[in-house]
Amino acid sequence: MKSKRRLISVWIATLFCLGSAQAKQVKLEVSVSHPILLAGVKQTAYVKVGLTGQALTTTKDRAPVNVAMVLDRSGSMGGEKIRRARDAAIMAIDRLGRNDIVSVVAYNSGVQVLVPATKVSDKHSIFAAIRGLTAGGSTALFAGVSKGAAEVGKFLQRNQVNRVVLLSDGLANVGPSSPSALGELGASLIKEGISVTTIGLGLGYNEDLMLKLAMASDGNHAFVEGPEQLARIFNYEFGDLLSVVANDVAIEIVCSAGVRPVRVLGREATIIGQRITTRLNQIYGRQEKYLLLEVEMAAAAAGRTRAMASVAVDYIDMIHQGKKHLSQETSVTYSSSAQLVRANTNAQVMVAAVEQIGNLANRQAVALRDQGKIKEARKLLLGNEAYLIKNANRYKSKRLKDHSKANRVDFDNLDSENWGRQRKHMNKRMRTIRGQQAW
Amino acid sequence: MKPRLAIVLLLLVTLPLGLMAWLGLRLVQTEKTEIDKSFHRLHLERLRDIEARLGEVISARERELMAQTASQDLAASSIRKRVSDSPHLRQIFVLDAQGDWQHPPLVGPISRDEKEFLTRAEQVFQDRSRFFQDSGEGAEAQDHGWYSWFWASGLNLVFWQRHSSGSIIGYELNRFRLIADLIATLPDDQASAAGPGGTRLALLGARGEALYKWGSYQAAEHEAPVALLDLGAPLQPWRLSAFAPPPTGGSDLVAGTWLLLVMALVAAGLLFIGLAVYFYRESSRDLREAGQRVSFVNHVSHELKTPLTNIRMYAELLQERLEDQGDKSQSYLDVVVSESQKLSRLIDNVLTFSRHRRGVLKIRRTLVGVDDIIDRVVQTFLPILSHKQISVARQAGSPKPAAIDADALEQILGNLLSNVEKYAPGGKVELRSQQSAGLITITVRDEGPGVAAGARERIFQPFVRLGAELTEGVAGTGIGLAIARELARLHGGDLICQPAASGATFVLTLATETGS
Repeated sequence: MKSKRRLISVWIATLFCLGSAQAKQVKLEVSVSHPILLAGVKQTAYVKVGLTGQALTTTKDRAPVNVAMVLDRSGSMGGEKIRRARDAAIMAIDRLGRNDIVSVVAYNSGVQVLVPATKVSDKHSIFAAIRGLTAGGSTALFAGVSKGAAEVGKFLQRNQVNRVVLLSDGLANVGPSSPSALGELGASLIKEGISVTTIGLGLGYNEDLMLKLAMASDGNHAFVEGPEQLARIFNYEFGDLLSVVANDVAIEIVCSAGVRPVRVLGREATIIGQRITTRLNQIYGRQEKYLLLEVEMAAAAAGRTRAMASVAVDYIDMIHQGKKHLSQETSVTYSSSAQLVRANTNAQVMVAAVEQIGNLANRQAVALRDQGKIKEARKLLLGNEAYLIKNANRYKSKRLKDHSKANRVDFDNLDSENWGRQRKHMNKRMRTIRGQQAW
Repeated sequence: MKPRLAIVLLLLVTLPLGLMAWLGLRLVQTEKTEIDKSFHRLHLERLRDIEARLGEVISARERELMAQTASQDLAASSIRKRVSDSPHLRQIFVLDAQGDWQHPPLVGPISRDEKEFLTRAEQVFQDRSRFFQDSGEGAEAQDHGWYSWFWASGLNLVFWQRHSSGSIIGYELNRFRLIADLIATLPDDQASAAGPGGTRLALLGARGEALYKWGSYQAAEHEAPVALLDLGAPLQPWRLSAFAPPPTGGSDLVAGTWLLLVMALVAAGLLFIGLAVYFYRESSRDLREAGQRVSFVNHVSHELKTPLTNIRMYAELLQERLEDQGDKSQSYLDVVVSESQKLSRLIDNVLTFSRHRRGVLKIRRTLVGVDDIIDRVVQTFLPILSHKQISVARQAGSPKPAAIDADALEQILGNLLSNVEKYAPGGKVELRSQQSAGLITITVRDEGPGVAAGARERIFQPFVRLGAELTEGVAGTGIGLAIARELARLHGGDLICQPAASGATFVLTLATETGS
């Protein structure tokens, strides 16, 4: 009875997937690193749950945006930085339409709500408020985010893109300023469907704090070295904002018996027993977001098929405005032929797994370097490079090859002179890989 | 101007002026404290308003949680869903009606966040009996409340409530979301700029660090807040503070008081200086007039002296001649001579005193026989002494010539004998002289009423004359003894009044060589 129902659901899911390709739906793809496993041994496998947003055909289809621009106007933002930031913010807001909501918050020692949340109908007065922005004072980053989130919260709806875009170039020195504090705030905001995108400008900001906030709230993160790049980054961010196809995406994976979940790569997730849950705030058009589940497969006899996991995804369809449910199940078969196992290995899943594992090594290298253990960090990066190259060759992956090269650059820049910049680059890359950020 | 007069005048000006300034300062200070107090009260009121706003956030959260508790299913999955859906919550714990820990489960699979919570909430676990305590005798057990504890980076807050099943549900709030919500409730710089101008308010965390600041006033680094308010439960380790520039209206008021005070002080100062100048001019006129009087007496005395000397000289010549002829009219002449001698001494005294006052009194030493001088003086006084029934006993012990001022010695002795004649009638006066190396001692003892012990020094001060009894009916200038002592001291000696059983004993010492 149970297996019959499962069969039907797989059938339906397949139909759905096929249909969705035409109906322009989010595509769920559950794949296993090793669909055929070696019989008789306990082994590790990866399950990749991928969600790809459909391309938007017309801009008028897109979901309304409710965005708060939270801009640093502390003393360090003086000169070209504040000028470029003003221009970038104006340019970005100019892309919004009449149904979108925008608010502009500036912060230094205190906070100024320059434009309280409003429909983008009178762009001129919004731009005028932004143009009046000058730099001076300290950095009350937490309060800025709080006020920005509160502005977004005024018109909070699940079927719109709720976003805080935070720009900072310095260390937060008024109010809570630890990465964990901002992380806790981010974890709260994502529950309401508010993501915080953090844009670090120059070399003076605290990337740990900015990263943690972005990660905890499923927002983007960018490291902008020079103010002239601000416009481009704001453009990317608003490009994402204007292409959201799904919101409030809840993923649930239930592992079958004999499948022990070990860890989730590439995303924060809650593992309780056999059940793994996580939440994505949004899926952008034509971008794939995924999570990778590492599992330990119990040994089984050759020829046996084992149900592996069932995946259920619930989200809000932003184009057709309604709740959607996707589900898929996956299973593996056991074989005694190692050649068969190798031939059937899913290179795409393995590349993703290697990418994420390599990313973890990078994170560890940063931690070692932070403790001043340059030698150990170098050793780790060297090992990681070898690991990436080996797998790049095995799976013929240019992506892994690129990562190995980036690892070499990291390796070369661990000395104190370049470390500040390199750390920001590393963190940005780690975030991009981990959150599958497109830019 | 004499220094003493200057000091007196200075005091006359500065004392009352100082007193006025002190009182004025006190007045200004009191006024300032009053202004500060009301300023402080005003800001405290503002902080209380803000506290009320923050309290609303807390009670809104309370109401929301309480409403949800009613419909809360206590199954682990429902609680977990609640945690993952509620932006205000970090974790939830459940104690069953027996006080046993139910969620997050201590056995069985739990998430990493739940595991962390169990570590973090160790104290809650230890302390769990408190959720079942009666709040007081007879009172119903409390069914909800706040519980806070410190862990790692700060304050953790739990709102707990009794579920209809008797279990306790504890909601651990997301601290930083709470702070963010409190900040969102508080005004921003622009909203506060529209309010009463120029203040800086701040929400302070448990370590006194600013969680949020708003308002346009830029406080100096170590400036003290004008008001501080401890927040009530459940935010009790947090505080609100207000910074503001000193009250502008108040400072005008204080400045006004200052101006008034300074003006009053200047006016009073001018008045006192005027008074001092007036007194000074008055007193210097008195002094000048007194000086003129002295100078007049001086002149007159000089003018008197020359004719008197002539009278004396011719009277004495005549006396000698008449003595030889045994004429009867000699006794009249004696009176003339004696009176003119007396007058002469008086004038000498006046002149000597005047010289002394002007600082030009000097002695001229010549070699003379002291006993001779004593004899001569006694001789001069004999007629008048015998007239007052005073007998004279002489004991001459200074035969050798000594270098002294003969006129001065005559003047001293004359003054002493003149006193004897005035105050000790009907007795004996004894004059004894002694001469040792460089020192001549002359003792004059009478048998009069003597000098009281307390007056023995005072009699040497000029113009001092003793009590009415003694001096009644006796004329005198009151400068004789003062001059006598001064002349003795110019000789390097002294004139003292010795204590004696009866009568007065004056001892005169004269050094015969200067400086020895």
